[in-house]
Amino acid sequence: MTDFLYPFLDHDEDDLDALLDDLTRSAHDKADISAALVESTLEQLDGDLHAAARDVAECLVRGGRLLTFGNGGSSTDASGLAALFATPPHGPPLPAVALTGDSAVLTALGNDVGFPLVFSRQVIAYAAPDDVAVGFSTSGNSANLLMAFDAARDRGLLTVGFAGYDGGDMAGAGLDHCLVVRSDSIHRIQETQAALGFALWRMVHAELDGSHAHA
Amino acid sequence: MGGLTNALDHVLPSAAFQLARRFADGATMWCVAPQWPEHARHLAVEFVHPVVVGARALPAVSVPGPDPVGALRAAVRAGDIVAVVSSAADPVALELVRRGPAWGATTLWLATGNGVMDSSADLTVRVDDADGTAPFDGRLVLHYHLLWELTHVCFEHPGLLERRDETDEVVCVTCRDDGRLAEVVRVSVDGHDVEVRTASGHEHADGTLVTPLVPDDLVLVHAGSVIARVGAS
Repeated sequence: MTDFLYPFLDHDEDDLDALLDDLTRSAHDKADISAALVESTLEQLDGDLHAAARDVAECLVRGGRLLTFGNGGSSTDASGLAALFATPPHGPPLPAVALTGDSAVLTALGNDVGFPLVFSRQVIAYAAPDDVAVGFSTSGNSANLLMAFDAARDRGLLTVGFAGYDGGDMAGAGLDHCLVVRSDSIHRIQETQAALGFALWRMVHAELDGSHAHA
Repeated sequence: MGGLTNALDHVLPSAAFQLARRFADGATMWCVAPQWPEHARHLAVEFVHPVVVGARALPAVSVPGPDPVGALRAAVRAGDIVAVVSSAADPVALELVRRGPAWGATTLWLATGNGVMDSSADLTVRVDDADGTAPFDGRLVLHYHLLWELTHVCFEHPGLLERRDETDEVVCVTCRDDGRLAEVVRVSVDGHDVEVRTASGHEHADGTLVTPLVPDDLVLVHAGSVIARVGAS
């Protein structure tokens, strides 16, 4: 009679095994969705990834570096991609720097000029024309990413964006390459963006190996 | 991704439930990833600033820097969670999960790799990684995303979180018949009086059986005496 007042006294609340079974089913469902999204996105974007890899490889051959950035969980994905390029599990290292790792720089810029400028100011300070700006966002709408891409384009950098949903504002921002994961789950988008970043890294190495072979 | 199956069956869900129970009791989760600090930050931010509007913010802190063992020795309180993300053979991770019980912490080890693993963590979630790429291709991220998602499902069942039953033995080390794990805090000049830290607080033990002891040694205490030093340190 008092179930509506005390739902936690419901019979089900005694049943830990039932909860764990539910959690197991849920984990499998989510893992299956993640794997399917990774597979379909890699297939859909195969041409775009190869085109991006060719352009990135050209920049690296000319002496450029990757500058990666993002907010929140995406900042860690940006750091992860920079780490993958610079300190890979195998193969030669490639120059890449995350603009998300230095709390002195981030808080100085955030405090003095505002958070929308935390990445663009770093691009202005660090970037050379052969560098590559790589931004991660799930919404595609982060103001500080859009400003960083603007600053990068002004300086002649190659621009590569990872977005989710329908690409948001990044899709219309004139990036050289905008890789959109068509999903509305932030978690599944991030997992798939990591898989895309990993595929890009492998393709860049394949391009560089090819250019060395023909040199 | 067939290798996910084992971790997702019961192990990861049980870990999520235990995390929810510790959080409900006021735990802070300390996140460490010695090889990939970005994963410690990602794990922490999931809990601190949830992407799902309305989901409860939970205390999680990533621990950067060169000495996570030293940092956590000072930071961890009894009842906290030490969450380690690393390959299965990482020496810093091993050190942390060995010391967790002496600090009164529940230890969670999210470990990549397919080799035989010696884990004394309370909760060990293996991430299938035959080729060493799981930390970079999204598969490791998936595992801690699922941990976060399932932990929040558990919060929809407060009755289960408040119950105390047989699942508590997962984190119980005080009844080990070979003694209780402790960390040496200080030793008297003659080595006889040793102050140690255990899951239940600081206490004094007789140090004459095991000499010389130095601060931070991991030891077993039984019947008021230090009876053995544990591990390499």
